[in-house]
Amino acid sequence: MAHAIKFHPGMSLLEQHAEGTLSADIALAVAAHIDLCPHCQQLSRDITTDLACQLAQQPVKTNNTDWQQMLNDIMAQPQLPKQATTMQQQVSAQQAEPIIVNQREFILPRSLQRLAANRCKWLQLGGIATAKLPAGNDYHISLLYIDKNTEVPQHTHLGLEMTLVLAGKIVDENGEYSAGDLLINSPDDTHTPRTMADEDCLCLSVLSAPLKFKKGLTRLLNPLQQFFY
Amino acid sequence: MLKLAKVARHDRGSPPKQDTQASMSRPEITNNNWDEALTFVALQRDRSAYAELFNYFAPRLKAFGMKMFGNEQQALEMVQDTMLNVWKKAVLFDASRGCASTWIFTIARNVRFDMLRKKQSRKDDVSADDLWLNGEYPEQEADTDTSQWDTQLLMDKLAPYFTSLPPAQREIIEKVYLQEKSHQEVSDELAIPLGTVKSRIRLALDRLREALDGARN
Repeated sequence: MAHAIKFHPGMSLLEQHAEGTLSADIALAVAAHIDLCPHCQQLSRDITTDLACQLAQQPVKTNNTDWQQMLNDIMAQPQLPKQATTMQQQVSAQQAEPIIVNQREFILPRSLQRLAANRCKWLQLGGIATAKLPAGNDYHISLLYIDKNTEVPQHTHLGLEMTLVLAGKIVDENGEYSAGDLLINSPDDTHTPRTMADEDCLCLSVLSAPLKFKKGLTRLLNPLQQFFY
Repeated sequence: MLKLAKVARHDRGSPPKQDTQASMSRPEITNNNWDEALTFVALQRDRSAYAELFNYFAPRLKAFGMKMFGNEQQALEMVQDTMLNVWKKAVLFDASRGCASTWIFTIARNVRFDMLRKKQSRKDDVSADDLWLNGEYPEQEADTDTSQWDTQLLMDKLAPYFTSLPPAQREIIEKVYLQEKSHQEVSDELAIPLGTVKSRIRLALDRLREALDGARN
């Protein structure tokens, strides 16, 4: 029996995702949540149906565009052969490669598989390891592995932090998060995530600015903030 | 059945220009016709069915593109790319999985996303194929949450939130829960597909639930 996912993206995030107007990093976190969450799969389908119906029903003025030329150009192109359907099914049936960290194997959600296959190498710091996904210079998307019984030092966020739990469990001052749960921390939210004694955790982390460590000696980590970013 | 038979075949030479305007101003085209038209394009490479689809959707996609890009050149590039995909990949359309307008909308959205990405010349980054599953998620056990809401509860607790719903969803909720119309009646009355009625009800209920308990972040 699958556990219930408790922390979902808000309706407006789901709407912007279906519309395609989120920035790529946030969209990826939402897409991976949807892969893991049947409830948001349904909502997302419904939103898409709704948006498409709005598109199809909108009144349009006649305009000067030469549609006939475009129509002729398109119909001069060849169509896919009918066997294409079965080819597509074969592609989608391909089994994903698991990723391995700390001698543990994880199968990632579909939306992350291609990027994760091209991930940078794992960087390790104590019980924490991160691997950046090659999503472009503007984005900071990484896999974050936290071993059992490990605490991420208390930190605050200079920008938006989105953490999607992919496997295992993590707790912080505000609650307990399991696979599929999506945490969104805005600038100024402070928290100290940690794993339990018996369970490690793999997350997707999206940061729009580096973390800033708050307490005592952990402030010494601030020069290391690039590690998490 | 399909009205396509009445449209002049386009196979032999260019069709007359008024064809375009005639089909655009045709008052009642239901989504069912689009599903059939697209299926004809897929199975029989039916050019007149495709022309009908094109004449209806191209100007609407352009309006969508203008809203998204704010310039005509890119909007038209998006229309061309989208409608070319519709032509080429018609065989991949499966009417049992959703209606034609949804299929065309998702193609346009993905084309637009990848156009923006290529403009910034980042070839390896997050692509539309990563973000949106091409096809269906496996069937899950039914989510019964929504059906547990009974009408009385809706009336008492949720009424204050009705005004916060998007107009299209509010209209349907009012017809179903206040005027007690069936989903089919609402679909007929508003000339929208039954699936869209059901989608909008689920969305509205979820939105109301969100307003009530703030479960989503």
